[in-house]
Amino acid sequence: MKPKIDIDYVCALAHLQLTEEEKSQIAPQLKKIVEWVNRLEELDINASKGEVYSTVSFSAPFRKDDVQPSLLEEDVLTNAPEKAHEFIKVPKVIEEK
Amino acid sequence: MSLTSFTLSELCSLLETRKIKAEEVVTDYLKEIEEKDKKISAYITVLGDLALEKAKIIDQKKERGILAGVPLALKDNLLTKGVRTTCASRILQNFIAPYNATVVEKLEKEDAIIIGKTNMDEFAMGSSTENSAFFTTKNPWDLKRVPGGSSGGSAAAVASNMAAASLGSDTGGSIRQPAALCGLVGLKPTYGLVSRYGLVAFASSLDQIGPLTRTVEDCAVLTKIIGGFDAKDSTSSCEPIPDYQKEMMKKLQSLKIAFLQENMLEGIDEGVKEMYYHTLKLLEQMGAELYEMDFPSWDYALACYYIIAPSEASSNLARYDGVRYGYRQTNSQTFKEMYVKTRTEGFGPEVKRRILLGTFALSSGYYDAYYVKAAKTRRLITQEFMEAFNKVDYILTPTTPEPAFLIGAKEDPIAMYLSDKFTVSANLAGIPALSLPVGWTEEGLPIGLQIIGNFFQESRLFKLAFAIEKKVKFRKQN
Repeated sequence: MKPKIDIDYVCALAHLQLTEEEKSQIAPQLKKIVEWVNRLEELDINASKGEVYSTVSFSAPFRKDDVQPSLLEEDVLTNAPEKAHEFIKVPKVIEEK
Repeated sequence: MSLTSFTLSELCSLLETRKIKAEEVVTDYLKEIEEKDKKISAYITVLGDLALEKAKIIDQKKERGILAGVPLALKDNLLTKGVRTTCASRILQNFIAPYNATVVEKLEKEDAIIIGKTNMDEFAMGSSTENSAFFTTKNPWDLKRVPGGSSGGSAAAVASNMAAASLGSDTGGSIRQPAALCGLVGLKPTYGLVSRYGLVAFASSLDQIGPLTRTVEDCAVLTKIIGGFDAKDSTSSCEPIPDYQKEMMKKLQSLKIAFLQENMLEGIDEGVKEMYYHTLKLLEQMGAELYEMDFPSWDYALACYYIIAPSEASSNLARYDGVRYGYRQTNSQTFKEMYVKTRTEGFGPEVKRRILLGTFALSSGYYDAYYVKAAKTRRLITQEFMEAFNKVDYILTPTTPEPAFLIGAKEDPIAMYLSDKFTVSANLAGIPALSLPVGWTEEGLPIGLQIIGNFFQESRLFKLAFAIEKKVKFRKQN
């Protein structure tokens, strides 16, 4: 597969903004990496059996859904960049037209 | 003699019999850090006052834990309550963790003393610590060279006697590779053996916390303490944790060992290759049955890893948006602008590269071609391991293709990625792997050997590693 990496589109998805200079550096690097990982196409993946997405070799146990103590409000807010009373403050969410 | 030259196990017994005081130990370690860390730069944060204070309390205590008074270093992606945890990133530069990682709780329960937080590649993405947003750690064996990474600070601190032992995290080789480059023992445990609660996530299906130590025994002691079920990690296993230290001393019984077919060693450093064959010969003399094996899918392991790890990272790192914690760009008019500017200014180049790569691999139209294919390849790699373990008990490989390289030598990202050639497969399969030092190159740089075992076979790994360690006498040669 010959992928086309639209660097602006991928940046927008990832919420990152690159300068033109960064783009001209990172875009070819990404292209090279993607070409390099393309070698997976050589493999016969149909030989792969079993669960594709399972990451654990054991069955993860269920637990009772008991309420446990959680972090105190002040602990949660200690790292907030900006706060007002018991809330985290952010710039305006709704953009004006 | 400085107390810093004792191994962790030696320190434990000296402290247990109260022949020495925790305060003396910590004082000696802080002196060592004061003298050496200007050159080595292993630590991001040194907890001098806190450590001394804790030592004094421990000296007064009657009932004490196994690690009472032992100074340990932690990779700076492990959350420590009330202490800065930066991940070597500008985006978390001033982040004070509001709770402890489970491993930190476990160490503190045994009265260990956390002496500092160590440098790493930003968000554990790298093999040299050169991707740290703050500075590059130097290899204590040669200051012009890298200590490996991403747990490079943790490795350099232990190798230069600035900590009795340390914890790191391993996603594709980040404990074993620096252990090999710094002449230490490093373990990536079976996925699920050690709780990941409080480890800043990079690639959740691959990350594991493990120890970096001067001896196999030290590694066994720490693994027993940090291992075990934790309800706070949904991928934590209920497998009982044996007394590794005791198990390790038992006689080796079955010793069927797979070694790599020569084509798999193509292009690696000659010194590393020679040492690999030398160690295999040694094992043969010890009565091992050796089997030459080919693992064709390993050829694809790195490519598979560089789809899966960045994909998971792009999702995990979406949380850094400047809203609840971490750096925030304050000159933004709108929410979205803040989000983008915060991330753009907060992340370094390698982190951005991986987020973009992962975002691309998961994007519409490419998901099946990349992510699904990689997930299936991962399955193939695991199958190949399981087939091998039907025949043998261990698989031995060099830990790294070359010894510690020069700072600045690998500017091309793919060249850097190749450092993990022998280590990533164990992460993809979720099985345990340990690196131990087996000798030196002609220039006097340490060389590591990797022992890979089947799921939850840590006891066996320690047993074989301990036997090799006794033969090789790496520390005595030093």
